[in-house]
Amino acid sequence: MDHHEHEEIHQADYGTGQKKLGIYAFGFVSCILLTLFAFWVVLSLKFSKTETFALIYGAAIIQFFIQLICFLRLNVRTEPGRTNVLTFVFTGVILVTIIIGSLWIMWSLNYYMMN
Amino acid sequence: MHAEAVVPHDEHHHHDTDATDVFGFWLYIMTDCILFGSLFATFIVLNSTGMQASGLKSHLNLYDILIESMLLLASNFTFCLAALNLYKQKLLKVQLWLATSFILGASFVVMEVTEFYHLSKEGFRWDLNGQASSFFTLVGTHGLHVTFGLIWILMLIIQIPILKMNKVARRRMTYLGLFWNFLDIVWIFVFTIVYLMGAI
Repeated sequence: MDHHEHEEIHQADYGTGQKKLGIYAFGFVSCILLTLFAFWVVLSLKFSKTETFALIYGAAIIQFFIQLICFLRLNVRTEPGRTNVLTFVFTGVILVTIIIGSLWIMWSLNYYMMN
Repeated sequence: MHAEAVVPHDEHHHHDTDATDVFGFWLYIMTDCILFGSLFATFIVLNSTGMQASGLKSHLNLYDILIESMLLLASNFTFCLAALNLYKQKLLKVQLWLATSFILGASFVVMEVTEFYHLSKEGFRWDLNGQASSFFTLVGTHGLHVTFGLIWILMLIIQIPILKMNKVARRRMTYLGLFWNFLDIVWIFVFTIVYLMGAI
């Protein structure tokens, strides 16, 4: 494998960022810790209901972003990377509309039928 | 692609096409996000306040779910190791790590199917009520995606030596890497919203 070929392989990242073992290992360890933390919060029964909700959702959202950055390698450094982020944000808008919208409608429906 | 022969920078052109292909696959993943979003919305609505208790709580074993989560996380990590070795052109290591990912992912599916089997044996069947249906649809759709990912991993283990770890192999690994990682991300929300919330 000559130098040119080697260089080309490293460029072919399709906007997913360069592949580095250190970043994957960091992502893997922190995801394990966050998962264990979330299960511990529920299994230990030490927290009130509100605290438990806040802690497990906090852990899930942090783990979500760690996975996005360390494994999916979302980034804004390159043009394909920016396009990926753009479509991702758009999907996020649609998801929020679907999920929050459904919950809002169903909760209101429940409220007006019961009161 | 028919114009490729007359384009002087043949390789460059091919690279751009690959990037477009991967972007297309990324768009597919985004539409899959919307599919899961709808299933999550259904599940949350049917399990929210004002509804009777779903009965899932009494059947849950959170330790099993924790093991499933770890299996999926580890499978994702070993897949990343396979991808790293593909870029270092080490065929045997790529295949070994892919096989490890397959075994870990297959264990996940086996545990999930066993869990479903026990749930239905204990009376929590998919046709019991709305909550049960939304639970089995959401978790089952994720499980089906993992199963298809497993078939895909097997295909890659066979394909990579035939393709001699060239550009096509790297592109296919990128597709599967996105897919496999996406399933891991969906699982974060499955275990948080379905299992941990269901157990409180």
